Amino acid sequence: MIEFDLGIAEQLTQVTTTSSVQVRVGTSNSDLVIASILQPLMQNFGMGGVYITASQTAPNVIEMMNTIGVDISPIHFIDCVSSGILGGTQNPYTNIGYIDSPIMLESMMLRTLHHLENSQNQQNFVILDSVNALSIYNEQRILAEYLHTFINTCKNRQVLSLIVNVPDQTPAGVLSNMDLYCSDLIDRGQVVIS
Amino acid sequence: MLSNSSYERDRCITGIRGLDEILRGGIPYGSATLVAGTCGSGKTTLGMEFLMNGAHAGEACAHFSATEPSVKLLENIRQYSFFDMGTVDQGLINVFDMDVLFSWLGLDKSTFNLDDIDAMVKAITDIVNTIGVTRLVIDSVTSLCYKVPNEQLIRDFLFKLGKSLSTLGCTTLLIAEITSVGGTSHRSAFGVEEAIADGIIVLGDVERMGHLLRYLQVVKMRGTDHSRAKYALELTRSGVMLTPMLKWGVSQ
Repeated sequence: MIEFDLGIAEQLTQVTTTSSVQVRVGTSNSDLVIASILQPLMQNFGMGGVYITASQTAPNVIEMMNTIGVDISPIHFIDCVSSGILGGTQNPYTNIGYIDSPIMLESMMLRTLHHLENSQNQQNFVILDSVNALSIYNEQRILAEYLHTFINTCKNRQVLSLIVNVPDQTPAGVLSNMDLYCSDLIDRGQVVIS
Repeated sequence: MLSNSSYERDRCITGIRGLDEILRGGIPYGSATLVAGTCGSGKTTLGMEFLMNGAHAGEACAHFSATEPSVKLLENIRQYSFFDMGTVDQGLINVFDMDVLFSWLGLDKSTFNLDDIDAMVKAITDIVNTIGVTRLVIDSVTSLCYKVPNEQLIRDFLFKLGKSLSTLGCTTLLIAEITSVGGTSHRSAFGVEEAIADGIIVLGDVERMGHLLRYLQVVKMRGTDHSRAKYALELTRSGVMLTPMLKWGVSQ
């Protein structure tokens, strides 16, 4: 039996739909941290949402969450990884939309807005997983601009935004931008001793 | 009486998410707007969504198709949730094949002279007038212009068409095909369409690391203030969606 991080659920009771939360994870605990976020948002607060995945394929996330015991079938996924893998888009899931590449940041934004517009839920969240994966493909300036636009767009539409990053794998400039733009911090990043 | 500074022309609200905001409220009524774009840039979808939104507001709309048969056009557009076959059945959306129109007019020929052009303009305006069309799309004006032998006649054709439709209070999108928009000032195949039109909306692609991102840019629109920035365009199941293009992602 996997135990969720109840401290995260407690912290989420303090945020609002205009909050933007920076979620710092380590290299080995990201799945559990994300599950500990999704579980209370959907089950306790009845929120719907969009999950943008750039770090792994959406089917991987879905299967991982199913293993942990989180039903994420009500979430719509925007998958930026699978199109880059031959045969990656062939799977049984109907709640996944595919983006050709993580460099198509505007497409990610528009697809997100499209799904939010069609959401049946009154309150919604968007989880961006992850900034360090996006930084593999996008240079710092455009990534900082995207995050700035992303956070403000979500705030403007009263959608809770959660931005996942592994701090020691995220460019320093982007990390400091997130410190500036985000209203809240869930810090489960591991300490790296070099 | 309104002072000059507060006067604003009535607008045709396109209903396309983002576009009315870019145009500060919509296209001025009765304007002929050139929608120039490369292949696959979303011209036809934008045109059909413009008409469908008008039909949903109870306006009579017409689409003249010169590039593909109307049956094929409607089949392709059915994938979008904005499409409602009921508007076609009710006669709010009227789709015409230009080839059929040419046959009726006895214009089954490869090159048009001035009389043929006059006949074509008269036929289109008669249809617009008879049905009471307030929104019109001609897709594409480039295909029609290929039948017109020289620039002067193309200019005459477009000028007469735009003037006649404007007089009837019809807001028109003239779809134009262009091969490339990067690094060139031409926004039309023949170079004269852009001079005649009241507005120019360019659709194209920005290449970013080997991927093509669609964009829309309003270059000109008489009678209204408007943004001239590039906007990323996405064709979703609900139709066209626009968002400002990231500044660091637009090629210099």
